[in-house]
Amino acid sequence: MSRPLPMRVLLGLAVALLLDTLVQLSWKWTASGLLDGGAHDIIMAVLHRPYPLVVIALMILQMINWLKLLAHVDLSFAQPITALSYISVCLLSVLLFAEDLGRYQIIGIGCIIVGVWFVSRTEHRSDDPVAAMPRELEP
Amino acid sequence: MSSAVPLVGVLLVVVCCAIEGFAQVFYKKGARGRRRFVVYGTSLFALEAVLYTVALRYLDLSTAYPLGSLSFVSVTLLSQWLLRERVTPTRWVGILLILAGAALVVMHA
Repeated sequence: MSRPLPMRVLLGLAVALLLDTLVQLSWKWTASGLLDGGAHDIIMAVLHRPYPLVVIALMILQMINWLKLLAHVDLSFAQPITALSYISVCLLSVLLFAEDLGRYQIIGIGCIIVGVWFVSRTEHRSDDPVAAMPRELEP
Repeated sequence: MSSAVPLVGVLLVVVCCAIEGFAQVFYKKGARGRRRFVVYGTSLFALEAVLYTVALRYLDLSTAYPLGSLSFVSVTLLSQWLLRERVTPTRWVGILLILAGAALVVMHA
């Protein structure tokens, strides 16, 4: 059975979920506007509109938070937890982009959430010392 | 819109998931202080970003994003293989449920 997660790991996961959601929504918003034209139109749009820069800034924040988090928890434990952002992304996609959310999608999202619950119940190494990593993996 | 168009989008997202598996392993190594692995991981994420942006041209976000959960399988396999993380049967059950959920979501595409 799993042991309680350290507070900084929980906080890092919460920030990761928030940033995942923001990145996905802003990315879709950007892609929708950019990909209607040719390469020249895309370059001009990137230079004159702030949306791509917002996406890049959010992705940098996401990367920094994720690197800090991975220093304290197993990758195969932390990454599946981020699937919780599927709820926020799908619901906000319906609200903001008028996308359809069908019956299968709702059931699928339910499966994903149950899967995340299973993963969260498993043993994990958090805040384990760097020295615990296998020596043969050293570069 | 042709029925082949969503398939192109789905295939692009699957390729993105494979790329993400390696990128995440590089980030995990980078988190231990090896900066060059952060560069490797970021380069792969940049490639993934380009492919995913193209995929979003063909797929709804509410389809493409959950389909990206296939990366949980690639990340778990590579974590077990390259990082020697212990992946219990319960965790695999969770991963498979996530995968099943992604498959259901794709049926909507």
